[in-house]
Amino acid sequence: MSGINFPIMNNIFGRYVRKNISRIEQGILNIIPDTTYKSEKAVKFIGSIGKNISSAEQRLILGASALMSQPFIDAHNKRVDEDTRKVSVAKTISKIIVGTTTGFLIRKGCIKAIKECSKLPAPGVKKCRTIFAPEIDEFKLNENSDDYKQYQNTFGTIAALVVMMFTNFLIDAPLTKYFTNLLMDKSKNKENNKSTVSGGAK
Amino acid sequence: MKSFGKMLGTLYKRYGENPGNMLVHTGVLGWVLSSLAQVGAVVFNDKISTAQKTFLVPQEIADAAVNILSFYVITSSIKRLASKLVSTGKLSTTSIREFLKKEGVTSKNRNNIDCIGNIKFNIEKLDNFPKIKDEYLSFKNGIDVTASTLGSIISCNLITPVARNQYAAVKQKQAMAKMNKAEENRVIYPKGITMAQYQNNSAMHYSGNLKI
Repeated sequence: MSGINFPIMNNIFGRYVRKNISRIEQGILNIIPDTTYKSEKAVKFIGSIGKNISSAEQRLILGASALMSQPFIDAHNKRVDEDTRKVSVAKTISKIIVGTTTGFLIRKGCIKAIKECSKLPAPGVKKCRTIFAPEIDEFKLNENSDDYKQYQNTFGTIAALVVMMFTNFLIDAPLTKYFTNLLMDKSKNKENNKSTVSGGAK
Repeated sequence: MKSFGKMLGTLYKRYGENPGNMLVHTGVLGWVLSSLAQVGAVVFNDKISTAQKTFLVPQEIADAAVNILSFYVITSSIKRLASKLVSTGKLSTTSIREFLKKEGVTSKNRNNIDCIGNIKFNIEKLDNFPKIKDEYLSFKNGIDVTASTLGSIISCNLITPVARNQYAAVKQKQAMAKMNKAEENRVIYPKGITMAQYQNNSAMHYSGNLKI
């Protein structure tokens, strides 16, 4: 919150808010004990997370965890009737599966495409493969540096967002609708079978 | 073309060293677009009844709104705290700790700004920081990405579904009450004129085409 720069944050009230946020943060820092990662393996693993987890992998992680939590929360929503609850669960499952699949594939594809087209100008590198290379005067860019890879990930993610402006409506929404109806039909068939079996037993 | 390259340069400087920030910003936009499309998917689904739509549409709208709010309040806060833990030296590796020792930074004097765990202390501002820069940034990026992913899971997959369901249930109840009232009015009071209106009309010389 303190990172947001509103004009109001520059007056006395703003200084008061910032001071208190700092105090709260300092309080939290005081509670947390000093921790040093001594294992080289652990340090390498943490470093590899920063290098290898782009927005595509993050979408996959969020999708997997969403599938474990959201349908469960919807299924236990006692504030609505059973039919609404069932539709809500079916829609949530469909939305997560479709959204995660398309979101991951589009992000991954766009990041790969940007990586191919953001090579630094060098002899033997075609001009079309350097169109997304940044221009910075202050220092020399290194294509193999972590910063450059993060730049490619960021630009790829932004490109993916532009693509998803269309695919959300053209692919995600119709597919979610299709899978929601499929799950609802399956649930109804299951119920019908159950009632037929119990009717027969009667 | 040159200005496009400069714009890409700004992007490089802003996110190249801080991928965790990028994940927070792009995540928000992604969820808004997705929710917008899903509202359409619910509205144009004939197999879903009107009563269920009165729950599912506010649920989707609330999904985007709560996601943004919780993303900025919870995810950003968790990421900011994780960043502070690393930049103040509270969370470090053996080599970062050794570097701090050499620089004379310890956790003993809490009142001193150059002290591990002091909110105002920042390893990156030390004169000899370039010596440890690569290892420090690799570690910090890893912690940032882990924190923003964990924060996203807490806010998007735990807090948002609970909050959006509560909001949507209230909205559904309101919509259903409105619909039921309209239905009741139609059944109990069929369209026609009241006695007072009839008396008014009869007092007039003409009442429409009919002479009374």
